[in-house]
Amino acid sequence: MPRPQHRPRTARPAAGVALAAALALTATACGDSGSGKSGGEGSGKGKIVFWDNNGGVRTDAWKQIIAAFEKKYPDIQVEYVGIPIADVQKKYDTAIAGGGLPDVGGVGTAYLANMVAQNALEPLSDRIGKSGLKGRLVTGMVTGVQAAGGRGKEMYELPTSANQGTLWYRTDLFGAAGLQPPTTWSAFYQAASTLTDASKNKFGFTIRGGKGSIAQALEMMYAQSGIDDFWNGDKTTVNDPRNVAALEKYVGLYKKSTPEADLNNDFVNMVAEFDHGDVGMLQHNLGSYNDHVKAFGKDKVDGIPLPPSQDGGVRTIVSNPVDGLGLFKSGKNKAAAWKFIEFAASEPMNSLWSQAAGAVPANTGAEQEQWINDARPTKAAMESLNDPKTKIVQFPYYLPDWNTITKADTEPDFQKVLLGKMTAKDFADELAGKLNDAQADFAGHAK
Amino acid sequence: MAIAVAKHPVTNRRRRTRRLPYLLIAPAALLMLAFIAYPMISVLYYSLQDYNVTKPWRNGFAGMSNFTRIFTGDPRFWHSLDFSVRWVVVEIALQLVIGLALALLVNQTFVGRGLSRALVFSPWAVSGVLTTTIWMLLYNPSTGMSRYLADAGIGSYGHSVLSDPHTVFWAAVLAELWRGVPFFAILLLADLQSIPGELYEAASVDGASRLRQLFHITLPHLKDAIVLSTLLRAVWEFNNVDLLYTLTGGGPAGQTTTLPLYVANTGLDGHDFGYASALTTVAFVILLFFSVLYLRLSKFGGDRT
Repeated sequence: MPRPQHRPRTARPAAGVALAAALALTATACGDSGSGKSGGEGSGKGKIVFWDNNGGVRTDAWKQIIAAFEKKYPDIQVEYVGIPIADVQKKYDTAIAGGGLPDVGGVGTAYLANMVAQNALEPLSDRIGKSGLKGRLVTGMVTGVQAAGGRGKEMYELPTSANQGTLWYRTDLFGAAGLQPPTTWSAFYQAASTLTDASKNKFGFTIRGGKGSIAQALEMMYAQSGIDDFWNGDKTTVNDPRNVAALEKYVGLYKKSTPEADLNNDFVNMVAEFDHGDVGMLQHNLGSYNDHVKAFGKDKVDGIPLPPSQDGGVRTIVSNPVDGLGLFKSGKNKAAAWKFIEFAASEPMNSLWSQAAGAVPANTGAEQEQWINDARPTKAAMESLNDPKTKIVQFPYYLPDWNTITKADTEPDFQKVLLGKMTAKDFADELAGKLNDAQADFAGHAK
Repeated sequence: MAIAVAKHPVTNRRRRTRRLPYLLIAPAALLMLAFIAYPMISVLYYSLQDYNVTKPWRNGFAGMSNFTRIFTGDPRFWHSLDFSVRWVVVEIALQLVIGLALALLVNQTFVGRGLSRALVFSPWAVSGVLTTTIWMLLYNPSTGMSRYLADAGIGSYGHSVLSDPHTVFWAAVLAELWRGVPFFAILLLADLQSIPGELYEAASVDGASRLRQLFHITLPHLKDAIVLSTLLRAVWEFNNVDLLYTLTGGGPAGQTTTLPLYVANTGLDGHDFGYASALTTVAFVILLFFSVLYLRLSKFGGDRT
């Protein structure tokens, strides 16, 4: 009996199409959770894997530290993996879900709570207490790490450095225009306007409208309003009328004193735009210092802390994420991994790294290094941190929803505000609503 | 007894012959189970769960609540679906028309045809991220076209077509066209070359114009290739993530967020894998329904016997 040559005509293509379409379903397929898997102390020798959470920018500094470490501990080899900063949280989440976590990783407080919630990190307080680092870490950074972990006084990363919002400005352009440094908000807005001549491709300021825009906008809001607490009871102060007024002034700069293209600016584009030479001021943290010096030289650029809300008044700065090193629970050679963390946080290595990163070192011994005196913006940042008139607004990094709310949920809304499709008040109210809900959820869980 | 002994080898051979096809398809079947069936079932499972890796205390069976949220309380879903549909329709229509025109052109005999074909097909060989990088440089207000235009007195400095809500859609369409047109051109050219020349000769003898030959010989012959290529491309364009993610990030203000991009943001940035799985399931059903409907309406393969 002859076999049929063809199946029904629609069945085959439909099956093929179904399979092709099914590929879409693989996008969010999740593997078995790898979180919470406990490794072991190991022999203290052999290979460990280290993920740098800002690969590329700081790779050279890490290579030097690793070389020095391997010289001191010839029985331990460190495999360096540089992860781009924009992808680091996704990489960690993927590895936590599917396996493949490193032994040691760079961890910032902005996403520390997420990783603690997933039970991926080893508590470090005991190890720090027994190490040479005890009493040698900047207190503010220690409390920042404790708060961000959301588990009382326990520390889930060893702080290595902190950053601070800085107002970068071109001293040569200011001098040529007869402007004073932007040490007050009125001077800042005046300079933004004076330095702008769109017909000649000159702009007073560059705004961050793309990825990472929210933390920066919040920094500008609190610095101008002078509100020194993120919470008023269990409600956030984000939508306080003074903050809304500050936001209106800030977004008012868009297209008036900034390029239109700023709408999509992430930090890379924003810094590149400033360093291209057509922009007078930029608000970014200390981390871009070396880029600016490379672009203009030390004499044509300077950085100062954001001005106080009123002349001579209290300076309110937000808690920038503290960077640090985490020890992963799943690691099978924790003894060797901890040696590496301890070594990297030691005074000479922490100093070397902080200088390369343009950050404030966490090791108190490194604070006295000469390079800090030579780097004006870093010195100014440290002075402002130690100034009794400075108040630090602690962002709720401990909220597992913090990153989701301030990135995926809210960044498109901020672009709507810049485009005039949403008012600053509606934006602030919506953001505040999400934060209040997240806080209530977290508080309910903590009970 | 002697008969029974004689029968055994035959039975074993038959059994082996019967098993052989299954053994041969087993590797492919296992791979499909692992890489297609498992992820599908996994996504379907998670679509019925609250599953957020950063809030494990909330995780658990959610029933249909993720789907209820999609259809009744999520304007971003409808916006991203609306954009996806517009994106697919515009892209496929333009890619097909331009791809067909180019295929007809390079199917002619002329000096430099080989070079022309290479130029037409070359964008297809460029990776998605590289394509985006090329277009980002072109659109960059500091280094790209707009700066040179502004230098020449056309337009203004600092203007970016990717930041302007009025131009971002067509700027993205143009970049994707550059990449997508060669796909149609290659596929249609291959099918064009299988049309017997005698048909055109006979039509010419009968006095048919070039336009009439196009509609009565070329297009009917290309029908199956057009149906298949538009369907494949429509699915790919619907699922497009790389170009839009790197070119616009779904912005400004979510204006270029396709449904898969929304899924990626919800899952990877928002960590809400349960809801992202439900969105993916909805996208899957939409694509499946569209594909079956399209194949039925176009009577794909209907001329074959």
